[in-house]
Amino acid sequence: MAAAEPPSSVRKVVVHLRATGDAPILKQAKFKIPGTDKFAKVIDFLRRQLHRDTLFVYVNSAFSPNPDELVIDLYNNFGFDGKLVVNYACSMAWG
Amino acid sequence: MEAQKFVWEGAIPLQIHLHESQVTALPPPPPALILAPRIGYLPLLAPLIKPYFSSTLPPGVDTIWFDYNGLPLKWYIPTGVLFDLLCPEPERPWNITVHFRGFPGNVLIPCEGEDCVKWSFINSLKEAAYIMNGNCKNVMNMSQSDQLELWNSIMNGNLEAYQRVSSKHKLSTVDDEYTSLCLPKAQQSLGETNLTAQVKTDKCFTLRDALKILLPELFSDESLTNVKLSGVDFEDAVRNPNEDVSSDKVLEDQGQRSYKNPEAGNISNSAEIKLIRIQGIEPKLEIPFSWVANNLINPDYFLHICVYVKVGQ
Repeated sequence: MAAAEPPSSVRKVVVHLRATGDAPILKQAKFKIPGTDKFAKVIDFLRRQLHRDTLFVYVNSAFSPNPDELVIDLYNNFGFDGKLVVNYACSMAWG
Repeated sequence: MEAQKFVWEGAIPLQIHLHESQVTALPPPPPALILAPRIGYLPLLAPLIKPYFSSTLPPGVDTIWFDYNGLPLKWYIPTGVLFDLLCPEPERPWNITVHFRGFPGNVLIPCEGEDCVKWSFINSLKEAAYIMNGNCKNVMNMSQSDQLELWNSIMNGNLEAYQRVSSKHKLSTVDDEYTSLCLPKAQQSLGETNLTAQVKTDKCFTLRDALKILLPELFSDESLTNVKLSGVDFEDAVRNPNEDVSSDKVLEDQGQRSYKNPEAGNISNSAEIKLIRIQGIEPKLEIPFSWVANNLINPDYFLHICVYVKVGQ
């Protein structure tokens, strides 16, 4: 996800991945992702890293955003302290 | 609350054609004629549609999806919004194509059935609650049976049941408060107290005022940056940059929000709003925004505003 960064005016968003319940904790939990990427990319990234197809992914321990939503929009609305907090769990955590 | 009643009773007449690739018997089956609730979602029509075509479908797993003129339709967008957005000249009946195979997973997020739609709806509701209240406790505290009742009220178009459950959990909000909370980013750029005060004292915060904040570049004077209004689903706004639009391009642009794109400045110079549609209505821009927000929102508390923008060549 944090691949070679092109010199662009695309704003990057810092995403902080937090494990919930008995979900495995990632070695590297903070990433930068282009704001124009969809949330689906975060979900796919988590699925690949954790080798799991079934994952429940939330923002601010509150709700699961639509995978089509742009990361920059999620950050602008729900981010704080300069990052977007994304929680992941192996079973449904918040309804 | 008469307006809400009209919205809930609103429906789109659909003429649903089975995609030719899925017709296994000739003559091809006639299209299904279905009246789809505006506030509903297309996949929820599956139980009505399947019987029409079951005799002609090849065997196997059915994952339903729809397209309009080749454009795969995002199933989580309410039917009414899709119609308002994709048909500048309202097409009655609306001719769409149904597929039961070949789900375009690279373009659409999967939808395996009613539960998927319900999950999407509940999360939308939580997102709206979070925007309005800073948390979604009121939705989280709903019992399973209340959640189910709320969902069923939408599936059945039962406004009374919906209002019963939503007011019980204080999902409904007071006019002024709602209006100010609808524009969280605007609050941050103008100062929280300023906008709230403006809304409370100035009864004439109109739809035009709201649109100026949402799409500043289309009103030429202001230059607010980084404005995203989450209480309002503005993804729709840039779907139709040109009057004649190819289906592929529209899909690509779906995710782009032109007011974040650095090139937006160039586009906006010659862009003008041609049409605004909310719940099938073309409202006068002088209407108080609080009325629009309270009466024309969808059950998930999102207000969908469809904007047609003409961009100069």
